[in-house]
This record gives sequence, C-alpha cells and structure tokens, in this order.
Amino acid sequence: MVNNKKLTNALVLAVALVALPFLIRVINGNEYGVMIMCIMLVYIIAVSGLDILFGYSGQISLGHAAFFVIGAYTTGLLNIYFDTPLYITIPLAAVFSAIIGGIIAYPASKLKFHFLSLATIAFGELVFNFLYVSPGGFTKDYLGIQVIGISFLTDYTRWYFFLLFWVTLGLLAKHSLVNSRTGRAFIAIRENTHAANGMGINVHWNKILAFMISAFYTGLSGALFVHLIKYISPETAKQKQSVLFLTMLLFGGSGSMWGPIIGVVILEILLELIRPFQEYQMFFYGALLLVVIIALPGGIYGGIKDALVSYERRKMGKNLPKSGDDNA
Amino acid sequence: MFSYLLVNGMIIGGIYGLIALGYSLIYRASGLMSFVQGDIITFGAYMGLTFYKVLGLSIYASLFLTFACAFALGIVLEKGVIRVLLNKNVMPIYIVLATIAISFIIQNAPQAYYGTVTQRFPQVFSKSSITVFGVTNQTEAYACFVVSVVLMFALHIFMTKTKFGTAMRAAAMDPLAAEACGINTSLSTGVTWGLSAGIASVAGMLLGPMYGVYTMLGATLGRKGFAGAVIGGYGNMYGAMLGGMILGLVETFTAGYWSGTYKNFIAYAILLLFLFIKPTGIFNEQAIQDV
Amino acid sequence: MIMLETNKVTINFGGLIAVNEVSIRVAEHKITALIGPNGAGKTTLFNCISGVYVPASGEVLLDGLHLEGKMGYQINKAGIARTYQVINLFWKMSVLENVLVGMHSRLKSNFWDCLLHTKKKREEEAEILTKAHEWLDFVGLSQYANAPAGSLSYGKQRLLEIIRGLASDPKVILLDEPAAGMNSGEKRDLDALLQRILKKGVTILIVEHDMKLIMGISDYIYVLCNGKLLAEGVVRDIQNNPEVVAAYLGGDD
Repeated sequence: MVNNKKLTNALVLAVALVALPFLIRVINGNEYGVMIMCIMLVYIIAVSGLDILFGYSGQISLGHAAFFVIGAYTTGLLNIYFDTPLYITIPLAAVFSAIIGGIIAYPASKLKFHFLSLATIAFGELVFNFLYVSPGGFTKDYLGIQVIGISFLTDYTRWYFFLLFWVTLGLLAKHSLVNSRTGRAFIAIRENTHAANGMGINVHWNKILAFMISAFYTGLSGALFVHLIKYISPETAKQKQSVLFLTMLLFGGSGSMWGPIIGVVILEILLELIRPFQEYQMFFYGALLLVVIIALPGGIYGGIKDALVSYERRKMGKNLPKSGDDNA
Repeated sequence: MFSYLLVNGMIIGGIYGLIALGYSLIYRASGLMSFVQGDIITFGAYMGLTFYKVLGLSIYASLFLTFACAFALGIVLEKGVIRVLLNKNVMPIYIVLATIAISFIIQNAPQAYYGTVTQRFPQVFSKSSITVFGVTNQTEAYACFVVSVVLMFALHIFMTKTKFGTAMRAAAMDPLAAEACGINTSLSTGVTWGLSAGIASVAGMLLGPMYGVYTMLGATLGRKGFAGAVIGGYGNMYGAMLGGMILGLVETFTAGYWSGTYKNFIAYAILLLFLFIKPTGIFNEQAIQDV
Repeated sequence: MIMLETNKVTINFGGLIAVNEVSIRVAEHKITALIGPNGAGKTTLFNCISGVYVPASGEVLLDGLHLEGKMGYQINKAGIARTYQVINLFWKMSVLENVLVGMHSRLKSNFWDCLLHTKKKREEEAEILTKAHEWLDFVGLSQYANAPAGSLSYGKQRLLEIIRGLASDPKVILLDEPAAGMNSGEKRDLDALLQRILKKGVTILIVEHDMKLIMGISDYIYVLCNGKLLAEGVVRDIQNNPEVVAAYLGGDD
C-alpha cells in the first residue's frame, strides 16, 4: 500500500535537497554556503547519534565530542601512518569509536545521572589531554592533524551529495532502530528502568548498546568531518563542543528524527550570524541553552508537535481520550 | 626536592579541597550537582580584582565584598534558576545543563570589561615570600592553604554543631519531613548555594595573585575540585579536603618526578577510576550507583 | 501440578527480617492468593520471586527451574510476568507501545535485524502489532491504543499493566493489588478477567486487599503476618480460621 501524499512529500523533499546547493551557489556567488551545509550534514549525524543515547535511552553524555575526535583521529592517523584507503578507515573509525564507547559505558552506565555527566566530562577531558600531550608524538602535536581530504570530492557541492548519502543512510538506520524491539527497549529504560527490567529487558546491556551505537554515529561524523575540513585539533574534544552537540539536540528536540536536524540547521545559522562576536560564543551557548531549558523543554520539534496535538484535539472535540499528568 | 613538592602539593591540594568543599556542600544540602562552582572561582577572582585593584579597597574589604557578591549570586542562581526548574519538575539533566549554561555565561561575561588578556592581580601581603620547612613560596600560597583548612573546620562545625547547619542537612535528606518540622527548606538550600559560591569566590581571589586572573582560571580548577570531591566521597566534608589534597599531591609529584605534561591526564584518569571502581570514594559516602 | 514454589524463603534488610522461611506452592491453572495485613511481607515476597531482591536463604522454583539470584529480566524470560503495587508503566509511551515492550523477551529479531530493517524484523513487527491489538481488545483498551499511558485513568492503567505482563506469554503472572484504584464496575469486571486469563493457560498469584474479590476467586489462599506464614488453605478454611480472623480479617478494615 503506497501512501500517495507521503510519496509526494518525499519527492518534493528530495528535489529540494538536490536543488539547494546549486541555489545557494548562485545566490552566494561562491561555495561558502555549501560548505556550511556540509558541516550541518556532518553534525546531523553526530547529533542524531547523541539523540539515540540521550533522547531514546535517557543517558546523558557531556563528553560526546570525544567520540567525534576519536573518529577523526582514527581515520586521519591511519591515513598518515599507513596510507590506508579511506573506504576502510572511515568505517573503521566509526567502529573503533563504538568500541571505546562500549568500554566506557560498561562501568559508566551503572552510574547515577549526575555522576554519569561527570564521568563523561572526565572522559572528554581525558581524550583531549591524551591527544594534547600526544605520548611519544603518536598523535602528532597539540595543534592537531592535517589530512589531504578525499580525492574525488573536488568541491563542496560534491561533498554535499556524498554527505547527504551518509546522512540518509544514518537516519534510515536510526528510524528502523528506534521503531524496533531494541528502540522500544531503549525508550522503556528511559521511561522506567525498574519496569523495563521486569519486562525482560537487560537494562545494563541495552544501556551499553545505546552508548556504542551513539559513539558509532558520532565517530563516523568525526571521520567525515576531518576529511571535509582537512584538519582536526584536540581542542574539539573539550566540553565546549560536547555542549554544542547537546544544545543542538535539546534546541531541536530530543527523541525524534527531525529534532536533531532542526537543531543543527538553526544553530549553525545562528553561529554563522554571530561569527563577528566569536569571543562571546560561550556566552551565546549558555544563554541559548538556558532559554531552551526554561522556556522550551521539548525543543522546537516538541513545541511544534504539542501545538499540532492541541490543534487536532480542538478540531476533533472530545473524541480523544483525556490527557493528563496523572503519573503518580 | 621532596619537601618542595610536598609543600606545593599540599598548597594546590588545599585549593582543590576548598573547591571540592563547595561541591560537597551543595550535594549534601540539595542532592544536586552544580557545574557552576569552577566558574564562580573565576567570578571571585574578577570581583576581587575589581574591588582591590580598580576600586582600591583594602584587601579585607575586598575579600568580604567578593564573598558577599558571590553569596548573593549563589542565592540568585538557586532561587532564580534551580528552584524554578525543580518546581517545573523537569528532567534532572536539565538542572545539570542549566548549571553548565550559567557557567558558560559567567566564564564569558567578564570579557566585556576586562577583555581576553590575563590580568595581573597586585600583591596582597607586604612580605612577598615566606619560607616554611626550607621551602620558599609566595605568601599568598600559604595564606591560601591556611584559609582552606580553617574554612573546612568552620564548615564542619557549622553543619554539625549549629542549629542552622542541622536544618540544612535535614532539608537535604527529606525536604518534606523537614518542612513538617518547621524548617524553612527554601532558605536553607538558598544559603547553601550562597555559601558554596562564597567559598569558591574566596578561592578565586586567593588564586589571583598566584596565577593571574583570566576567564578560564576556574574551569580546569573546577573539574579538579570535582575530582577531589569524588575521590574523598561525594558529599563528605573531610573527604572533599582529603580528596583534593591527594589529587594535589599526586599531580605535583608526577610533575616533579616524571613530567608536568601528564598532570591533567592523570587527574582525570584518577577521577574516572574512582567513579568506575569506587564511586563512594575514600569515605564511602552513600551509594551513587544506579540499577 | 506445582508451577511456582518458594521453599523456606527468608529475606532481610540489614538485620530486619521481612520474610521469614515462607514456603508457598502455586498450582498450575489455578488462582493462588497471598493475603495479610499491611507490612506482612507480601510485596517483598513478590519482589523476591521477580528478582528485585535476592533471598538470604531458601529457593524459588518455576516449573522446577531455580530462580533465586537471577536478574529481573532473566526471570521474565523464564516465564514470570508481574504487575506492581505502585503502577509502573512507561508513561510517555503509547498504550500500544507499552504492550509491545511487554513482548520484548519473546521477540526473535536481533540487533542487526532492527538496524537493517530486514524481512524478519518487518514480519515480526507486523505480527506483534496484530497480537498487541488483540491484547488491547482483551481488556477493552483498543480505543486508547495511541494515547500516552500516563493519560489513562487509574483503573485502566492497572488493566494495561496486566496485559503488558501477559504479552510476554508468561507461565505465571504475579498481580500486586490489581483492584486498588479501580472503580466498582472495573472491580466487577476484574473477576471475570482473571477467569479469562486462566483460560489462556496462565497461572495467577495475586496479592489483594479486597476480601470480597479474593474469597470469590481464589482456589487456594496463603496468609502472611509479620513476615511469617500464618495459615493456608481453601477459602472456607481461611474464613473459619480463628487466628486469621483475629490477625487480619477482624483487625483490618
């Protein structure tokens, strides 16, 4: 059974996505806008990964940028040292990031909320310090590493389509995952850990699994990022970038397909707009995060959804079952 | 070499301990984790700089005013943000994030007046250095140590021996029961946040002459204080001091005998080890594990 | 045939003995009730059977299989489902999704099926969706399928908890005060519902304060008092047992 309206929507979206970079190029007269769009696409993968962890399984990570950097360094260093082809190193980087995620999650997922935030912050700082110190020059110096990029992606428009492919793949997999046995287990753990355990869900294992999937996405995102920008610095592993990912997620709306996309796109545009005031970037992050927390706890997507629901309800009168916060 | 490292390790450890105290106090009193503490150190340093250098007040007046400002800031944060969020029944993560958001704001705000350049904090004592056990250090460094130790004992006495301290602990343990016993929990948690902020700001002002004043001053120190609190046993006053001290000594000795470059790496590694293997810390302070 | 039994189970919390050498036997396809005054240790025993607590001594056997010391999710897989005294639903998930979560341990799709949207997963998802709707029909919650679980009335939340437990296809279901919070109509229906559950081949162990309900449905009753077994027997024995009447029926409301 094919839903005609859905099909039309998908077609319109596809055409718009294909036309967009060309349009931006014509308007801007250069590729700068397309490059920003490429960064958005990379970030969408990372933030969607974070969403699987936080939005679905309810675990916080304030050190997710570390996985981003681990992904970037893995592919970068393999290329620098062994000249390994990219089609091997990029997936490998994501897998390595997932393994590190699993190792960290094994003890960390047992920690209570506040302490999990603290552990993930410490993890981020640990990765930063490791790369900054670079024992024996193994990870090059504190300035970071440079790579030559991907040869057939000669301009940002090509990059755009290359990344669009990965984003589509990543989001399809995420969609399939969250609407499955595993995804429901994650949500159940977020909603009520105790009951989830009683319903036959291995809570500890699923928490680790969520961490690994999340680290895989973010690691993949980092691996693509380093070849796009041709450079990564240890600084990126610090808390600031992790909080940026989390702000994007919360601003867009966690626990949804569209939330991360909305969050990344709007925040990237805002960041571009405040570029002249770069030294106040932290102030901006902080203020924005505070506004979201206090005024828009469901993010933009959550806000839109709530508005739609109440609109439908008004339209349909009292046919729908009553809703309340009677959670006692 | 050994005694030099020992004394310096204890001085930096004392500072970590002081910061750790602030974290433990908030956790003890409201069951929350505040990530603002580190940047309140920065705030304290800038306030101290403003009162002492810019306005030319005496050091004691500056110290008092800095404390008072931070105390007020702490209460405003608790009442204006944390309490509001708690009343809205938001997910606990939002409270953690709110404190991080505030820490970013505090970290960035002084730039508007002082810019990004590190400010020199003028010398506080007329005698520029003192020698203890054959180790010569800046007078401020020793002052810092003395203040840390004194504050720890003062806080412990305040929390256990005074009526108000007991009320604060009761409010943290069971707010409803405490309310029923006639304790003003709103006041007591507010005061706790104020006190924690006050302590951090004093640490910041004492650190100013040693490190100079810059926007990132508190961020790393804050995390070290966190590590100290966890190592000692999160929520335990003596544990905070001991944990801070251990961290300071380990750092100083690694830097002295091995290499200074691994100092931060080791600090975070110790923090993670404790969180993963012994999250209740040395003083075995209440279980913090889930599931 | 005995489906579930506890053998001299003792549970203590830091020296305080909550359940003291309690042995119960739950017969297959029967309704066994556990009653007793508040604080008698009924829910504690439930929590022990379902893996929340590990007994200090004694055994818990399901169809001959040892359960003591197993994790909650393993016990669910072994064939014990439960409901909770304080309702424990996945509040923000829809009513339907709650039932789907209940089926978790019976599903065969593995992680890769879930990620790659394989044929196996698609078929299984379609199948369990039909099944879940059948369960909703079973207790009359179909019209609320897409409403969040938290929006249901108290009595309906209890029903949802029961079918969420049944969805895991258990051998035994432990019902912890299912009638609490139900209105009188819902209580009346509960009686019939329990019989229909039995017909599905599921054995029932129930804790309940509503004596009218218990005396009407139970095949066998155990009375707990202060952590100890005070009496056991069929309804008539319990009703005529002077000790029980003194300790419980007379004392409690």
